[in-house]
Amino acid sequence: MNQTADEIQTFHGGCPHDCPDTCSMQFKVQDGKLIGVRGNPDHPITQGGLCVKLKDYEKRHYHPDRLLYPLKRTGPKGSKQFKRISWDEALDEISTKWKDIIASDGPHAIMPNSYLGNQGLVHGLNGGDAFFNRMGATVCERTFCGEGSCTAWLLTVGPTAGVDPESFCHSKYIVIWACNSVSTNLHHWRIISEAQKNGAKVVVIDSYASKTAKEADWHIAPKPGTDGALAMAMINVIISEGLQDQDYIDNYTVGYAELTERAKTRTPEWAEEITGIPAEDIRRFAREYATTPPAAIRLGVALERTYGGSQAIRAATCLPALIGAWRHVGGGALQFPVWEHPYKFDVICRPDLIPEGTPVVNNLQLGRVLTGETKLETPIKSMMVWNTNPITQAPETDKIIKGLEREDLFLVVAEHFISDTAAYADILLPAAMGAEMEDMILSWGHLYLTYNTKCIEPPGEAKPNNEIFRQLAKRMGYEEENFRWSDTECLENYVDWDSPTCEGIDLAYMREHGFARLKDFGDKDVRARHAKGEFPTPTGKCHFLVEGATNFVAGPFRQMYEGFQPGEALDSLPDYLASRETPDTNSQLAAKYPLNIISPKSHGFLNSCYANVEDKIKRQGEQFVLINELDAIARGVKEGDQVRVFNDRGAFEGVAKISEDVNSGIIVATLGYWRQLNNGTVNCISSAEFGDMGHSTTFSDNLVEVSLA
Amino acid sequence: MATLVTDNCQRCRFTECVTACPVSAFRAGEEMLFIDPDTCVDCGACIPKCPVQAIYEDLDLPEHLNEWIEINERRSKIMPKITNKEPPYVGADDRKASLGF
Ligand code: SF4
Ligand code: SF4
Ligand code: SF4
Repeated sequence: MNQTADEIQTFHGGCPHDCPDTCSMQFKVQDGKLIGVRGNPDHPITQGGLCVKLKDYEKRHYHPDRLLYPLKRTGPKGSKQFKRISWDEALDEISTKWKDIIASDGPHAIMPNSYLGNQGLVHGLNGGDAFFNRMGATVCERTFCGEGSCTAWLLTVGPTAGVDPESFCHSKYIVIWACNSVSTNLHHWRIISEAQKNGAKVVVIDSYASKTAKEADWHIAPKPGTDGALAMAMINVIISEGLQDQDYIDNYTVGYAELTERAKTRTPEWAEEITGIPAEDIRRFAREYATTPPAAIRLGVALERTYGGSQAIRAATCLPALIGAWRHVGGGALQFPVWEHPYKFDVICRPDLIPEGTPVVNNLQLGRVLTGETKLETPIKSMMVWNTNPITQAPETDKIIKGLEREDLFLVVAEHFISDTAAYADILLPAAMGAEMEDMILSWGHLYLTYNTKCIEPPGEAKPNNEIFRQLAKRMGYEEENFRWSDTECLENYVDWDSPTCEGIDLAYMREHGFARLKDFGDKDVRARHAKGEFPTPTGKCHFLVEGATNFVAGPFRQMYEGFQPGEALDSLPDYLASRETPDTNSQLAAKYPLNIISPKSHGFLNSCYANVEDKIKRQGEQFVLINELDAIARGVKEGDQVRVFNDRGAFEGVAKISEDVNSGIIVATLGYWRQLNNGTVNCISSAEFGDMGHSTTFSDNLVEVSLA
Repeated sequence: MATLVTDNCQRCRFTECVTACPVSAFRAGEEMLFIDPDTCVDCGACIPKCPVQAIYEDLDLPEHLNEWIEINERRSKIMPKITNKEPPYVGADDRKASLGF
């Protein structure tokens, strides 16, 4: 980086945040400083714009609260009292402690905990997996979002990207099912709104009037957790009215007779009782969907967040095959296009190093694990946390804090800031940020590879995650060659550059261009991946019926470990499965806690990132609680009152906003606010029980009560 | 609270700003554009597109332009949506030059 003082250089970047858009960025660098970011104008999805969170990403790099040096705790746990130590001291202390624990308790007493706080192949979700797999540490299953949907999708259609998100420009009927695209998938929304301008009808299914629902041609608002009933009733209408594509069904699907039988009693009238949506609306919706090709469904992550959520996704994933939507460019369903990306997760995670019998814990149940409520043969004595912040993001928060307060728990955290979780660290390591490290960023929202240039030095002594693991591996005596790979060598090894989808693309190409479209199956104007079936399932067909299926979590979310999968038998067909906590299904609990809560992402934050930045808090506003007027009056709550939301698991506070955007019986409070800046956070009230598949969350399956604070 | 258009946007209609917007938040006044604060998602994509620096996020707004917050709120509600690029007004380039851009 030789440059004169006034010369501005531009480098390719990739947004590393947990967002499906994975924007291609331009880093503007002057004098070794990041002075600005832009969306890459040449990228067909980014189209020159970023979002409210990232538009001034440079400020996050230079935020005055950034961690610059390794720190060691000096006060009580959580007190944020630390002293500066050197990297050598920090890494020596960690490795000595871990060696002691391994000697006394065995490696199962140690666990990693990371998520998609960084989506880089090198420094992200799976970045430390090889290290901990080599150690033989307890495997951490990480199922914050999308894992139930992955299981449902894989069972039904296999690892396909489905309809290309860009092909939605050709769609005439677009269903956005449980996704607030305007806030969390903005660049896909842009494509959808273009289609809308060109005459496509946009239907948004969401239990409250999100920003996206307000832009829809039709907003359908089922009660939380009842989407499965809606989807089953659509199947019922399509079959009973003869709207199905029999030729497609006969050639490319399995289990039509069984599905027909199952759907027989799932009438619109039956679904009206459950969902609160008039039967006539359900009929109209099914008819329109079945007769307006090309029809595309965008499956949102939120759909899985109730006990029966994944079954709902399975039902919805059957719809395109039933009506032959897959025949058309711009027809089908979209879940996570990541399935067609050429990443070598086995090389990244090295599951071959995992000793047999290694136990698994799940990060949603971290509180139970750390407090001993979950019975483990070897209790956890040490945890390393990076790219995640369980105190705000995981359920049963109060329990997690109890666990983190344990004097005998040795907690290592790599972070950018003293997050709620980092506050409890024994050793806190300063982590590098976006422009400070080389990586390629995975995408679960489009079909492009994205490159990120290291174009500035990290501040102070901050280090990239992968460098931390390289140095720890050295101290632990791990000699496998992957622990010596530079970040560049990692990229050379982590991507299957020889696969047909990378034809003409290599790392040099990525460095020069910043992004590359995957080559398989044609571009957005021709891709009809399943026009002739060809589903990547064992039979090559779409499975309405899956015989002998058992529950599992997809490999990348459990360090590619196949041991101790959930394993219980699954229903062979999709269906509606009621939530655990609603007034209809649990009247006893509802007598105490009558309201269902939904906790979507905040528009101005990215999970808990940016919720410590003053401007972003101003933009987003303080924690609020959307409540319907009827419910507010019943509790003596007026607009702007500070209210307390609570159940047996915990409580948080927010400012009441009385709104018709929520129906009576539901409240909405968005996620991400920091506990150290607020009175509790949303997840204090969330249950850590799993949904029906993929150990999904149940964030939208919780009953609460609201009172004046 | 939102991103807004200020008085530098008079008789311009370069409208690069409009094509950058992912949510169709721009409204067309006779002389200038406005942003509907209830539609805008503050993504910032339009700001660098404006050749005369007429667009600001309210958090960065110079104080002497404060009145434009209310003007955008009010005018955006009665003006039609503009979502496509239009030909610039005659003299737009001269005006741009006179503003020092
Ligand atoms: S958070 Fe999403 S929309 Fe925003 S810049 Fe990153 S990838 Fe793009
Ligand atoms: S580019 Fe700037 S000056 Fe021109 S129309 Fe848009 S806001 Fe107005
Ligand atoms: S900030 Fe973004 S959403 Fe707002 S007007 Fe500009 S481009 Fe549109």
